Amino acid sequence: MTDIVAIIVNGLVYGSIYGLVAIGMTLIYGTLRILDMSQGSMVMIGGYVGWWALATHGVNPLLALVLAFVVTFVVGTLTELVSVQPLIGRRGEVDFEMVTFITTFAVGILLTNVALQHFGPFQKNVPPIVSGNLDVYHGVSISYHELTMAGVSVLLMGALGLFLARTRWGFAVRAVAQDLDAARSLGVPVSRLYPATMGLASALAGVGGVFLGALYFASPTAGDLPLLQALIVVVLGGLGSLTGTLYAAYLVGLMQAFCEVEIGTTWTLPILYTAILIILVIRPYGLKGSPSEARL
Amino acid sequence: MTGTFSGLSPTRWLMIGSAIVLVALFPLVYTDPYYMTIIVTAEVVLILNISWNFVLGMAGVWNFGQLAIYALGAYGAGWLMLHQTWMPAMIAILCGGLFSAVISVLLAFPTLRLFGIYTSLLTFSFAQVVQYVALNDPRGLTGGSYGYPTVPGLFPNMSQTSYLRAYYWVFAAVIVASCLVVAWLRQSHLGIALRSIRDSPGYTAARGVNPRMTRVIAFGLSGFLAGVAGGFYLSFEQSFTTSQMGLTPMSIDVTMLVIGGLGTVMGPVIGTAIVTVIQTILIDYPGWQLTILGATLLVIVIFVPGGVVGLISRTSKRVSAWVEEDSEAVEPAET
Repeated sequence: MTDIVAIIVNGLVYGSIYGLVAIGMTLIYGTLRILDMSQGSMVMIGGYVGWWALATHGVNPLLALVLAFVVTFVVGTLTELVSVQPLIGRRGEVDFEMVTFITTFAVGILLTNVALQHFGPFQKNVPPIVSGNLDVYHGVSISYHELTMAGVSVLLMGALGLFLARTRWGFAVRAVAQDLDAARSLGVPVSRLYPATMGLASALAGVGGVFLGALYFASPTAGDLPLLQALIVVVLGGLGSLTGTLYAAYLVGLMQAFCEVEIGTTWTLPILYTAILIILVIRPYGLKGSPSEARL
Repeated sequence: MTGTFSGLSPTRWLMIGSAIVLVALFPLVYTDPYYMTIIVTAEVVLILNISWNFVLGMAGVWNFGQLAIYALGAYGAGWLMLHQTWMPAMIAILCGGLFSAVISVLLAFPTLRLFGIYTSLLTFSFAQVVQYVALNDPRGLTGGSYGYPTVPGLFPNMSQTSYLRAYYWVFAAVIVASCLVVAWLRQSHLGIALRSIRDSPGYTAARGVNPRMTRVIAFGLSGFLAGVAGGFYLSFEQSFTTSQMGLTPMSIDVTMLVIGGLGTVMGPVIGTAIVTVIQTILIDYPGWQLTILGATLLVIVIFVPGGVVGLISRTSKRVSAWVEEDSEAVEPAET
């Protein structure tokens, strides 16, 4: 019973943070058909912003989150302007998906190395947003930090859903996801929408980075593992499907918690990977993905 | 550099032949150990890049797991060299290559079911997982983060100069052989099948080409060469650690392939040379190496999509078109 509670609690916490990092990638892929490999760097930047604000300046945690959101929004927008904007309209000339995969990857390399130059290779301690632990059930405890992390993730994902379903910009994003040319001919400002979408997705990862920074550390390579996990979640959910990503995030979170409790941390990633490989061979487009239909 | 043997003029063959002779004679003239080490290391990377280019560029499968295949070859060869000491080093390296080929073929099957970006994600995660397991292996098979620190290698007990020369020649021979094989494969039945599966899988299958068999062969060949490259690296450096297969070496290799020109025969050679030169110049500023390489990658992908080889062939086409235009101008076409 203790095991089961531990698995469920940890699984939900992991799932929430995976969802937050992965949903940005899904959003970008669904609208722009870009697999954003710089998303891991946004987690890393978020971690450094958290360290800078919380550890060196003692800023209010909420303000630190907002700061991380703003900084990574700007970096994400700039990333789009550098790595994607020059390629738009050349879809016939270059393999758009492949080339943007490489360009965003290059931006990721750049950001990682700039961080390495600026902050050095050593890990920085990020203090938790909220301290203290909550005892859930006979020795199974969860820190308030993790609880806040899960809460904020769910809140942000909900806000994203509302944004897409209710606002004018949300309509525009979904229109572009359905049919780029039709959206453009109806007056959707694609050249502004692309950077904004990428900025938004990066900002979500940046907020995730502040939380993850406190769980692990802030370091130049802090984004690598979250990127890998987000990739697994995104592929499993079906690229471009927001609901699929959510299911996949919690499924992967629960599977990881199960492996950690019952088998041991060393084999968690391989087991997870094998399970996903099997799912993918059975369902090549992930849980909720579709070959080329409208998404989001 | 079209890669067709029949289309090559005798002059071209003469050029290729003399280039090979020059490459072979080079270490007899030049013996600086520092730069020779850099050159020999670059040769190993080039072998890996040739193998990767075959799958990534020619077959068009977005395989980003090649470094894991390479590392598995190195681990396979290293394990044999350390634990089966009776075995000649060359055989151990070939066995490592075979091991890599088998893993690579196994990786080919799921990629058959997936498309484009899904393939890259799957193979990318495969590479990460292999690195993670090698790093955290609880039974000490891979040596964890220390890897294999002392491996005898192909030529133990040799003076430094002849050591570097010996490796230089072995690797150069493998490079020349694999370039020729790739150039031949490109215009062979297999190469054409691979490229047409890349461009139109449904049509190719309908014309009676077996996509599964073709891709399995491609992955097998590429995996074998990558594994041999891994064994070579281990043998030359006399050590191997997981840092050889992380994101950093992968980004350097991708940069090399893209700068040279994906899917071409000479692309990996040119790309590896250019990036190695850049890295050597920046050796005193290690932090800037990757920053500059990342920026170069970005600029090349956006502004020179075909890489250097693509640029050269486009320029030469433009020049010949321009020459033709000039000769046409003598008698203007009537409309």
